[in-house]
Amino acid sequence: MLERFKVPEEDKIYVQSEKVFELTKNILKNIGVSDEGANNSASVLIGNDLRGVESHGVSNGLRQYLKRYKDGIYNSNPNIKTLRETPTTAKLDGDNAIGTEIGPIAMNLAIEKAQKYGMGSVSVVNTGHLAGCGHYVLQAAEHDMIGHCYTGSPAGQTLPTWGSEPILGTNPVAWGAPANEMPSFLFDVATSQVAGNKIELTRRTGSKLLPSWIADKSGDPIMEEVETPNKGDYHLLPFGGTRENGSHKGFGLGMVAEIMSNILSGAGPGLFNDHQGSDYFVAYSIDAFTDVGKFKLDMDLLLQKIIDSKPAKGFERVVYAGFLENEEFVKRTDKGIPYHKEVIEWFENYCEEVGLDCNLK
Amino acid sequence: MLDRFKVPEEDKVYVPVEKITKVTENILKSSGVSEEGAKNSTAVLIGNDLRGVETHGVSNGLRLYVEKYASGQYNSNPDIKILRESATTATIDGDNGLGAEIGPMAMEMAIEKAEKYGMGCVVVSNTGHLAGCGYYPLQAVERDMIGQAMTSGGAGLTVPTWGSEPILGTNPVAWAAPADEMPPFLFDIATTQIASNKIGLALRTGAKILPGWITDKDGEPILQEVDAPQRTGRHGESNYHLLPFGGTRENGSHKGFGLGMVVEIMTNELSGMGPAPVLHHEGSDMFAAYSIDAFTDVKKFKKDMDQLLKKIVNSKPASDYERVVYAGLMENEEYTKRSQEGIPYHKEVIDWFENYCNEIGIDCELR
Repeated sequence: MLERFKVPEEDKIYVQSEKVFELTKNILKNIGVSDEGANNSASVLIGNDLRGVESHGVSNGLRQYLKRYKDGIYNSNPNIKTLRETPTTAKLDGDNAIGTEIGPIAMNLAIEKAQKYGMGSVSVVNTGHLAGCGHYVLQAAEHDMIGHCYTGSPAGQTLPTWGSEPILGTNPVAWGAPANEMPSFLFDVATSQVAGNKIELTRRTGSKLLPSWIADKSGDPIMEEVETPNKGDYHLLPFGGTRENGSHKGFGLGMVAEIMSNILSGAGPGLFNDHQGSDYFVAYSIDAFTDVGKFKLDMDLLLQKIIDSKPAKGFERVVYAGFLENEEFVKRTDKGIPYHKEVIEWFENYCEEVGLDCNLK
Repeated sequence: MLDRFKVPEEDKVYVPVEKITKVTENILKSSGVSEEGAKNSTAVLIGNDLRGVETHGVSNGLRLYVEKYASGQYNSNPDIKILRESATTATIDGDNGLGAEIGPMAMEMAIEKAEKYGMGCVVVSNTGHLAGCGYYPLQAVERDMIGQAMTSGGAGLTVPTWGSEPILGTNPVAWAAPADEMPPFLFDIATTQIASNKIGLALRTGAKILPGWITDKDGEPILQEVDAPQRTGRHGESNYHLLPFGGTRENGSHKGFGLGMVVEIMTNELSGMGPAPVLHHEGSDMFAAYSIDAFTDVKKFKKDMDQLLKKIVNSKPASDYERVVYAGLMENEEYTKRSQEGIPYHKEVIDWFENYCNEIGIDCELR
């Protein structure tokens, strides 16, 4: 994550991951989520926070989820059904469960299928926020598989290249692959220039948005640095930003995510259907293609080559996707997760309101 | 493709598809390629030319391929072997056959596995140039599937985000999905700011290279418009390097570099060839097919695709633009036009065909 999205030093409060994990789980159980469901969601959210992906951790997410449980948008006691199944594929109806609850279950099913048949993939319809794709592809990496995930996030946010009407969501996509001694490769990105949740982070951190990150309401890219506009006063641009700089590549990858999540699942394009987006999880068994031990050593060779390569002027080192996240994971597991003080206040206030212990400090 | 890469009007020679197909097949066969192999490679190259993807058609490719067949770098009579196979996957040794010859067979195998089991994925090691990824996913589309292809040909061209040493190749990737009335979605890109072959085209058309597309030999992005450079080598021996797409970190080049890494892993590591940036081999390919029927009703899928694609095409463009398109729409328009009017080749390409045919003593009826 760029420096501008990080919590300013003076606003940081460090919390041990076990404490915030337990509390998050208790808050979810308190609203009616099952023990397993709360465990899944808390693992995804705190996993993101530990990797430094706080745009998709408890800071932005938890308060929204609770509101949606209360409003009946999310079902705290979902009856998850299999709608269609083949040896390698399945389509699940999430019965309006939050994505973070059902996502780990769906990826496990894909992994089981891949163990038997070489590949497995599972799509999930009628489900809520997935909190990014990174957690799920790492589940596959832990089983010596390559993991892959798409989600069609709420549509009508991101412009097509040359367009002025927002059509897609931020539609994130991720791949993860294991190595031997090196940290896993974990590539997890929004297909827009900037994730919707990162824009929300800037409201809290006070940082500005860079040129060509967003467009005005008429679809023209804003080419200077600006304060974050109010919700509804801007559109997102596909990554690349402008056509000259390749925004058709970001828009195209966003379309792939839309097709593989919303359309392949039968939920239909997000823009025309009243759903919050569907998810798609894929696992590839490495053993079905080649020797797992060799694969991991080859990954080490490749990843080490990148880390050892000479940086360009003005930069200290070269990294690969997943490397910094792993460093952050190790550091935060040890020292605790640095939350913005506003987030801690929210936890304390909410716990008091619902009558739960709030043991964070 | 941006206008700067197109053949200038005064240099165009229009050639009917049947004529260029026949001459290309004959040239490959005279290099020792089998009837089926020549048909496969020609279908890929002319398919690219028809869709307007002339960076990956006969113009740049064919002369290189015949040279590589002649020097023994490509095997015109490959003994293709299956190294490992499961219900949904296969790993193939291409025995140094041209990628464009083996690719259509490998995708067919992925499609057959997907018909039986829902998904199929085939990786091919020890193989030559694939001529882009676009052709192969369209094979899956014709069978009501979603297709995907990746290739890692030629490492040592592209610097990582923050890096100064070229590591990956241009590592292209493509996906395609069918619609009902609308042309299929076909997203086919290099994971660099610019494909190497486009620099080759720019050398021929005289187009300039835009700021932020390439770096100097020390890895510094060149931030002004420059003439297309003639490459001097790869890995440590190149006079310029490519940037991952996005260009700079602020503009998201980690997304281009990350996607390039996905391609490297799904081809070279998954096929067992090992990392091309370290081992300096010529790369491998990956083909996947996803049966739509395994997930949902095929007709509904196609209607949903139509609804989405029409919405994009009918949406209001931003100021200064005439229309909004999706990946595959303009390629399809070009395909229709060129099928009818012929393919506009640069006159230099036609000269090459005529000279080469003359040299090896075969007919060259193009005009």
